[in-house]
Amino acid sequence: MLLLAMVSEQTWAAGARGAVKSTLAPLEAAMTRLAGNVDRVTAVFGDVSTLRAENQRLTAADQALRRQVVELNAAAKENATLRQALDFERSYGHHMVAAQIVGRGPDGFSRTLEIDHGTADGVRPGMIVTTGAGLVGRVQEAGPHGAIVQTLADPQSRVNVFLSKSGLQGTVTGGPAALQLEIEHALGVSASSGEWALTSGVGGGYPRGLVVGELASITHLDSSTSDPALVAWVNDPAAISLVLVITDFVPS
Amino acid sequence: MKRLAIAALLLATVLVQVTWAPRITVAGAFPNLALVAVIAITWTAGVRQGMAWACLAGLMLDLTADGPLGPHAVALLAGAYLTGFWVRNLDRETLLHPVVAAAASTAVYSAVLVLADDLLGLPVPPPAIAIQLVVAASVYNAALMPIVLGVVRKLHSPVTRRPEPV
Repeated sequence: MLLLAMVSEQTWAAGARGAVKSTLAPLEAAMTRLAGNVDRVTAVFGDVSTLRAENQRLTAADQALRRQVVELNAAAKENATLRQALDFERSYGHHMVAAQIVGRGPDGFSRTLEIDHGTADGVRPGMIVTTGAGLVGRVQEAGPHGAIVQTLADPQSRVNVFLSKSGLQGTVTGGPAALQLEIEHALGVSASSGEWALTSGVGGGYPRGLVVGELASITHLDSSTSDPALVAWVNDPAAISLVLVITDFVPS
Repeated sequence: MKRLAIAALLLATVLVQVTWAPRITVAGAFPNLALVAVIAITWTAGVRQGMAWACLAGLMLDLTADGPLGPHAVALLAGAYLTGFWVRNLDRETLLHPVVAAAASTAVYSAVLVLADDLLGLPVPPPAIAIQLVVAASVYNAALMPIVLGVVRKLHSPVTRRPEPV
């Protein structure tokens, strides 16, 4: 087995390895569809009991939304300026391929997703994967009709980001529960909860301006050169079913 | 025929693991159904059969994971071997034994998987995160063990039980 592992790890075996791995992709896609159907059926039983609680929650949410509308109107002008500054046009101007998620990593050590598009569709290792909400991760391996994506939740994942309001920079790493962020100190500026973390493009691994998540909590450490923080990822890896692969961005 | 049925069952288990199991994450860990199934088979049918099925299930898991083929198979073999060693040296079986064996085998499986990845030069998680995930996965798999063991015993018994000589 170890011999097989060592042989299949070689670069010249990458094509064969990808082709072999693609064999399970159709079965995983069928199982994912089945899972979706079962979820819909079981949801009916849960619906009746949750409707009352949902009604109460919606009433409270309605009041909160009224308040938010007022706040959003005030923030609209600031938002327009921010949008221009963050150069969203550039990040969304890339060519993308839509792919369906057919499976997830088999163990907790590597948080990966398997998609149903591979080299035959122009997907290559290193390409960036997003959703409409924001960054998902990077293509780790690609076979002819499937690819494995390393998500931001993977403990090995590293993304350089900047914060939308304070402009502070930091590095987001994966974790089992939430994304960890180390924010570098800057004189006279401090980060606060609620700020958005976006890819900074530093290092050339990711294009600038892709949304990563919202700063959920931050611990200010005066004695350190950086502040640890938690980021609420915009994508729920257990819930997303469709992703976009940016095919014309080449990481440096 | 029976072997084909077990292989199909293991394939279904692996597919469920990579499609459904990550939806029921607790403390960052989700159940490793293939590992629990292999431990239950080893507990019921013995270490030789357990290790043979561990090899097959491991290769199936490797097909769905990133990196080379083999690390999951090696890790499952280690888990199955520990379970086989445990059941061989058992005087009297209680429900606690397979449950604790599942937790211990999960820890061994995880340690071997991380070690194999490290040996192959693949990235491994930081120790603190790895320990947190291993503990959570061990508890999760141990909790599932009685159910899976019951299912495997039910499937195993009608085929293996031979008629008493007259």
